[in-house]
Amino acid sequence: MPLKQVRLGFVPLVDCALPVVARTKGFAEEENIDLTLVREMSWAAIRDKLSYGVFDAAHLLAGIPLAARIGLGGVPSQRLVVPMALGRGGNAITVSTRLYQRMLEADPAAMHGPRGLSARALKKVIEEDRAAGRPIMSFATVFPFSSHNYELRYWMAAGGIDPDKDVNIGVIAPPRMFDSLRNGWVDGYCVGEPWNQRAVFQGDGVIVALKDDIWSRSPEKVLGVREDWALSNPDTVDGLVRALVRAAEWADQPENRTELAQLLSHENHVGASFDILRASLQGRPVLKPGDNPIDAPDRHVFYRYTATFPWLSQGAWVGRQMQRWGQVDKTVDFNAVVAEIYRPDIYRRAVADLDVALPREDWRVEGLNDAEDRALVGSDAFLDNSIFDMRSAASAADAPADHAMVPDR
Amino acid sequence: MKLEDFNILVIDENPDRAAIVERGLVEGGYTRVSRIGTSFNLVERIQVLAPDIIIIDLENPDRDTLEQMFQVSRAIARPIAMFVDQSDNNMIREAVEAGVSAYVVDGLRQDRIRPIVEMAISRFGAFDQLRRERDEAKAKLSERKLIDRAKGLLMQEKGLSEEDAYNLLRKNAMKQNRKIFEIAQSVITAFQLEF
Repeated sequence: MPLKQVRLGFVPLVDCALPVVARTKGFAEEENIDLTLVREMSWAAIRDKLSYGVFDAAHLLAGIPLAARIGLGGVPSQRLVVPMALGRGGNAITVSTRLYQRMLEADPAAMHGPRGLSARALKKVIEEDRAAGRPIMSFATVFPFSSHNYELRYWMAAGGIDPDKDVNIGVIAPPRMFDSLRNGWVDGYCVGEPWNQRAVFQGDGVIVALKDDIWSRSPEKVLGVREDWALSNPDTVDGLVRALVRAAEWADQPENRTELAQLLSHENHVGASFDILRASLQGRPVLKPGDNPIDAPDRHVFYRYTATFPWLSQGAWVGRQMQRWGQVDKTVDFNAVVAEIYRPDIYRRAVADLDVALPREDWRVEGLNDAEDRALVGSDAFLDNSIFDMRSAASAADAPADHAMVPDR
Repeated sequence: MKLEDFNILVIDENPDRAAIVERGLVEGGYTRVSRIGTSFNLVERIQVLAPDIIIIDLENPDRDTLEQMFQVSRAIARPIAMFVDQSDNNMIREAVEAGVSAYVVDGLRQDRIRPIVEMAISRFGAFDQLRRERDEAKAKLSERKLIDRAKGLLMQEKGLSEEDAYNLLRKNAMKQNRKIFEIAQSVITAFQLEF
């Protein structure tokens, strides 16, 4: 039987691991798929090439299929669907070493407390700048509809900062982030690995919050395919999902993480140094130049905790953040939008014969963090211990102050 | 709006391709065309240039920065949206396949934009073909053959004798401190560039 050709676009980040492993470790071939990987340097390019058929599948920011469905971001409405997620964790907020020193001096207590609340120190620095009449600082994320944008804003808001007024937040493609910090064009950023760890290794930046500190074991990239392609190639979609889920299982074994770092360091994949990738993948990140690594075993999760399951509630959370920050009108019913895009039915069908832990429901209350939750998805607390219940309209309607810790504004 | 009133900005990391697109637009009657390569103060430069239309190579990482401009209207005086014409999906597909993307000031009429985008698509295509032909030519022809071909073109197009054609190539190679076959390659490319 001839192999079915599938072209998949990805951006060089640690979380492109599953497609890379599916291709290089033979999981795709075992599903009769000849998986061609195409490295892209921009999310807009990936979105357009997937939407117009240059790619069959793509490594996507979770916000892209939602924005594309409601016609945001410049292209006519696209019907992309998400048959699975590509893992959890991996992002961080890094600031320049100079800004880190200022934060440390402005509020040492906040900087020695929980990292999720370190923005309180940034707030003090912003107040100093304002009193001295200095221009506001600049931060960067990777795309308007990225979890990075929402995580950076969540962290800032929890520290009493208004991300739309107190700082500038711009967009820089991930591979260019590092140079922007080094050259002083931005004061900090939120990006996926290896671009945080690299700034620390080179002495240019300090990680002030990990993604895990903002929302533990929170979802990250997704697999995106066109709805019409999924409908006309159901066997290929199922095979692709199975290959990626088996790749995830392989990638989550601690004994495979060194080999994974080697695979990803290849210039056709991530193209970053092996040492940097290994530190991050082994869950031993270094947060500050010269420090010892910390233990963060769930820094990158590919398989455990239902990390590949396309939870409706996680898509809905991203949609609500779009509304919280004024990107999308409050009248849009994201629960309905997500129900068309996230396709746990495809996932369940594809992995039916594999030994994969499947949840009873397709959605859950995010951040609940009770015993049953911890068994299924691990501790998933938000930094402010809030919960996100997609059935509750209130959390969207109250935006942007929809979380208890957003202070006096 | 008259053709010469359109303020067009070409953003491309490849200066050769940008030049080909610019020339096509200028020859088509659009006189206000500027081009920039990669820049880290992109938002500020666009604010200064205030283009009506931005033509940018599809894979350029600066596109992610441009897309933010739709979201943050205060970042730019005039709102810019990607070329959107629901009725013309084929054209967008052609643009994506050619590696072209376009951003336009909101409210500009689609029928005024289309010829500009079409020009960019055809010039990207021409550039690709030139590059492909050049790569193929490189693989096929030895240096000697390149020189012979350039000599032939000079003889045929400029009426030079074989000896004069060779001397012209040699003289330019010495003057520019390059190899004769490199000059020959330039001559061949230059003749192909005459659209």
